[in-house]
Amino acid sequence: MAAMIEVQDLKKSYKETEAVKGISFEVEEGEIFGFLGPNGAGKSTTINMICTMLKPTSGSIVINGFNANKEKNDVRASIGLIFQENTLDEKLTANENLKLHCRFYNVPKNDRERRIQEVLHIVDLNDVRYKKVETFSGGMQRRLEIARGLLHYPRVLFLDEPTVGLDPQTRAHLWEYILKLKKEQGITMFLTTHYLDEAEISDRIAIMDQGGIIAVDSPEELKRQLGGDIIELSTSDNAQAEAEVQALLGESDEFTINDELIRLQVENSDAFISELIEALSVTITKLNIRKPTLNDVFLAFTGRDIGEATGT
Amino acid sequence: MEGILAIWQRDITKFFRDKARLFGSFTMPILFLLIFGGGMSGTMESMMAGQLPEGGSDFNYIEFVFPGIVAMTLLMTSVFSALSIIEDKDFGYMKEILVSPVSRVSIAVGKMFGAATIATIQGIMLFALIPLLGLSYDFMSILQVIPFMFLLACALSGLGLLFASVIRSTQGFQMIVNILVLPMVFLSGALFPINNLPTWMEAVVTVNPVTYGVHVMKNVMVDVENTPTQIVEAMGLNLTVFNQEVTVLGAVLFIAGFTLVLILLATQSFKRANA
Ligand SMILES: Nc1ncnc2c1ncn2[C@@H]1O[C@H](COP(=O)(O)OP(=O)(O)O)[C@@H](O)[C@H]1O
Ligand SMILES: [Mg+2]
Repeated sequence: MAAMIEVQDLKKSYKETEAVKGISFEVEEGEIFGFLGPNGAGKSTTINMICTMLKPTSGSIVINGFNANKEKNDVRASIGLIFQENTLDEKLTANENLKLHCRFYNVPKNDRERRIQEVLHIVDLNDVRYKKVETFSGGMQRRLEIARGLLHYPRVLFLDEPTVGLDPQTRAHLWEYILKLKKEQGITMFLTTHYLDEAEISDRIAIMDQGGIIAVDSPEELKRQLGGDIIELSTSDNAQAEAEVQALLGESDEFTINDELIRLQVENSDAFISELIEALSVTITKLNIRKPTLNDVFLAFTGRDIGEATGT
Repeated sequence: MEGILAIWQRDITKFFRDKARLFGSFTMPILFLLIFGGGMSGTMESMMAGQLPEGGSDFNYIEFVFPGIVAMTLLMTSVFSALSIIEDKDFGYMKEILVSPVSRVSIAVGKMFGAATIATIQGIMLFALIPLLGLSYDFMSILQVIPFMFLLACALSGLGLLFASVIRSTQGFQMIVNILVLPMVFLSGALFPINNLPTWMEAVVTVNPVTYGVHVMKNVMVDVENTPTQIVEAMGLNLTVFNQEVTVLGAVLFIAGFTLVLILLATQSFKRANA
């Protein structure tokens, strides 16, 4: 498959901060590519450079075959961008916002009505087409922004933290729309988020921290590389349990203990768990077996919890 | 082209939708007219009557100040309408415009035309007061002056765009504009003649685009040929710059050139803008 976006050694420095420290990656046509990282990792800065909104300090960006530094207008015509913050005109109606967008992007006149109905249908906003945007809820505004971003049939849709500030139910709905879009329109999507569960819908994820990319792969592969399932337990005597677990695992396997919780990782938890229970002489007070999450991945790469890193 | 039109139309639509702003924008020029026209006419007229040997009693100050007040209204509204750029930045809409493939010139021109159209509409509103003030201008000259009002408003909106591109906050913009607008009005000949000024003020008059705007407006609207020379001179209907009499055509060209330069500057600032 051809690369839709090619980024080479991209850097951006502000006066004091080096926001993006020389990152390289490719996004393939038709995939959902996710940027996962805590606040301040440099996700928005990267997106804004790819979308011609910010001049890189150095590095090259090619998108849909156009150079983002030289062929700005070709790049702009190829992409749709849903910014992190609201960019609708709230004093105008949904219809007026969409019409303006058609004109900015030179959508053929005789196709405008059809496309407006089409995108409003995708995000379920047909009923409020002639209402002023200021009367919309946060979720409706977000959906309208996505609809607007689709009007000119972009090759790539960028979504920067599309669900920030929305309630969980609206968030879930929005992701349904986004998946529907991928299925029905086959658009390449580039999204950023600091919510772990949201990153899961991506075909591939780049984990970003402090201006650098620390891993790029599919969510499944990233978690698989961590090496199996995670078992967390606590017992009536953790010191004793620790010794017994160590004996069971042997020298090579790692496990950690924090906050009176023993945390270990095994290839096949189904078989291991009965061995573990048998081996322990102390009473188990808490036992939790789970598949690794992206948070475990982030933890493994950075030594920090993504929630801690974000400060949420 | 479509981009210019879209940006222009959005600003016009929003202007007519904002009832408070609409009301304010129609009352402000009327107040100016009452205060400057009504308030100052007695003083000015008796002054002139003393200077003029004969026919001085025919002198009607309001007739002279009216085009100046129209120009002043154009200045205020044009510059303040450029505030919409700062609003668009604050409310995020500027990003929607900047990330689109609309050329940066079109953005500058669209914004300029929007502000200029609103200003011209206000100027034209003032013409409705002509009969009430007991004035009589030639209908043809009024028709001629309207396109020029739009050109002048473009130049002044361009000035507003330039301020808006360097100033980030609404308050900062209002402060700078207030500091600049009053001298531009007073040193333009809009309200009183600008003869015999100190040299440094003369310099301001010379570079002030409002000077040339007022000059054209007065010369088109007032019947200069049938006005006694003393009045023409006393009211500053003859503008001289570097000892050269400025013609109406010359002044129009100055404003047009000024507008072009500002379009270029505004385009540059939109090119540099990162949302
Ligand atoms: N205009 C700016 N000037 C200076 N520093 C900035 C600017 N924009 C972002 N930064 C800094 O760059 C870093 C990355 O920010 P950002 O790309 O917004 O992160 P993210 O979107 O991942 O939360 C942060 O440390 C932020 O403070
Ligand atoms: Mg961000």
